[in-house]
Amino acid sequence: MLETEICGLKLDNPTVLASGILGNVGSSLRRCARQGAGALVTKSIGKHERQGHKNPTVIRVKEGYLNAVGLANQGIAEFGCEVATAKEGGVPVIGSVFGFSVREFVSVAATMEDYGVDAIELNLSCPNVGKAGAFFGTGEELTYEVVKAVKDSVSVPVIAKLTANTGDLVAIAKACERAECDGVTAINTLKAMKIDIKAGMPILGHKIGGLSGPSIKPVGVASVYEIVKETDLPVMGCGGVTTGEDAIEYLMAGASAVQIGVGVADRGISIFKKVSREIEEFMVENNYKSLKEIIGVAQG
Amino acid sequence: MQTVKIKEIIKETKNIKTFRLDLDLPALPGQYVMLWVPGYDEKPLSISYPGEDVGLTILKKGPTTTRLHEMKAGDVLGVRGPFGRALKISGKKIIAVGGGVGMAPIAPLIEKAISKGVEATVIVGAVTKRELLFVDRVEKAGAKVIITTDDGTCGLKCYTTHALEQELKAEKYDECFTCGPEVMMYMVLGIAKKHKVPTQASMERYFKCGIGICGACVMDDGGLRVCKEGPNFRDVEIEKFKDFGKYTRDASGKKIYW
Repeated sequence: MLETEICGLKLDNPTVLASGILGNVGSSLRRCARQGAGALVTKSIGKHERQGHKNPTVIRVKEGYLNAVGLANQGIAEFGCEVATAKEGGVPVIGSVFGFSVREFVSVAATMEDYGVDAIELNLSCPNVGKAGAFFGTGEELTYEVVKAVKDSVSVPVIAKLTANTGDLVAIAKACERAECDGVTAINTLKAMKIDIKAGMPILGHKIGGLSGPSIKPVGVASVYEIVKETDLPVMGCGGVTTGEDAIEYLMAGASAVQIGVGVADRGISIFKKVSREIEEFMVENNYKSLKEIIGVAQG
Repeated sequence: MQTVKIKEIIKETKNIKTFRLDLDLPALPGQYVMLWVPGYDEKPLSISYPGEDVGLTILKKGPTTTRLHEMKAGDVLGVRGPFGRALKISGKKIIAVGGGVGMAPIAPLIEKAISKGVEATVIVGAVTKRELLFVDRVEKAGAKVIITTDDGTCGLKCYTTHALEQELKAEKYDECFTCGPEVMMYMVLGIAKKHKVPTQASMERYFKCGIGICGACVMDDGGLRVCKEGPNFRDVEIEKFKDFGKYTRDASGKKIYW
C-alpha cells in the first residue's frame, strides 16, 4: 500500500532518512532502516576529513532547530565500511556528496558509487560552509555544471538537494533537468540565526546556521509544488515532516517520497514506522488504495 | 538553551573545579548537560550536584575547560538539558568505581543510594593525592571509601581495578557502577563480570547535538546513541559494543583507536 518509487529506486514506504541525521556511521544508518525508513541518505561526505564547526552545532529554538555542523565528515576514503554496514539495513542507500569544486563532487560521487550506494544525492544546498553546498546550488550555471559532470561519471541515479535560499528555485530545478538530473530533493535548511540576549552573541559556533523543523514545512511544500508543476523531475520533499499528515501534504504537492530529519528528535528513531502507519491510516479512512492516487493530487 | 550566571566556583583539586550555577535543575544521577561557554565551545558534562544551584565538576583539559577555569562568579554560561539515561540503583549493597573526574556522577549516585538505605562502597582513584575528588563528600554521605593513587601518595598504591578485584573477592556486592577512563571501565566490567556483579558504566564520546539526531556519538554495532540511550549503559548492552575499549570517533566521525 505504501510502496513508492523515486528515480528508479523502489521503496517499501515513502519515509526517507534525510542527510545529516544519524548518517555518518553505518550501524546508525542500519538502525534507522530497521526502524522503518524506506531509504537512507548518508551524511554528506567530501573528499577530505573535516572536523566541522565548533559546538554549539545543533540547538533547539522556539521555531524549530538550528544547526551549523559544517559538513563534518570522515572523508570518502574512510566511508566504504560505513556504506557496507548501512546496506545491511536492506533498503536503498543514497550517498550524499559535497565538494569545493566540480572535480571534487565528481571524484567523491564516483567512489561513493564504487562503495555500492543505490543513488547519489548532491548537496547543492548546505548553508553553513562557504564555497561548498549552497555556493553551487544558488546559481543555474554552477548547478548545471555539477549535475552534468556527475551524471557523466556515474551510472546510478543522481538527485540534487536544493535550497529555497535562492531567488528562483524553479530555475535551479530546470538547470538540473537540463543536466539530465534524475530527481531533486527540496528543501535544505533555511539560513537562520539565534542570538542569546544575555550573552549578547549568536549561540551557534558558526554564528549563522540553518533552520529546520515544522516552521519550514510550508516553505518546503510550496517548493515541491512549484518544482513538480514546472518540471518533469521526481521530487523528494524535505523540511518539517513530523507526522503522517505532514508527509501527505508533501505527497499531495507532488513529492514521490519524503525525507525526515529533526523529527527524529521529537518522535525518536521509530518516527519512520510511526509516520508510515499514520499515512496508512489516512489512506484507509479516505479510500486511497495506493500512494499513486495521492501523489500530486493537489496539483489539480 | 538557558543562559545563567555562575553563582560560586569551588576549587576541588589542582585541576578540577566545581561550578555552581544560578539555576534549579532537577536531574537524576548520571545525567548530563550541554554546557555552552559563550564564544568558545559547548561540551557535555555530568551533573555533580543536581537540583538547586546545579553543580558541574570540571577537569581542566582543553581550551574550553581552560577558559572555564578562568571564569568568575557572575559570568554567563549556557545550559541545555538535563539529558540522558540516568544510573539506576536496584541493588541493596553496591560498589562504585570512580577514576579522576569520573567521580562527578558517582558522588550524587552514592548520596542518593545511601539516602534510600542502600549500603555503598566507593573506590576513589586518582593519579596522585591532590587530584582525588569527592573523598570527603562520599565519606560524609556514609559510604565505605577505598582510596587508590597511582603514585601511592594516598591510600593504596595501585589502580582502582586492583582494589576492586580485592574487594569483590572479600565482600559480596549485588551491583557495580563505574565512571572514568574507558580503559579503566573496560577492566572494571571484566572484573565485575567474573564476580557476577551486574554493572552500569558511564560512556564518553564526542557530542554535537545532545538530542539524538546528529549521530556523532553512536556506538558500533547496534547504533545506540551515547547522548540519548546513554550515557549510562548496562553491561549486557556494553558487551555488544564493538568500539568500547578499542576506538572512539572524532568530530569528523573518523575512528580513533585508543
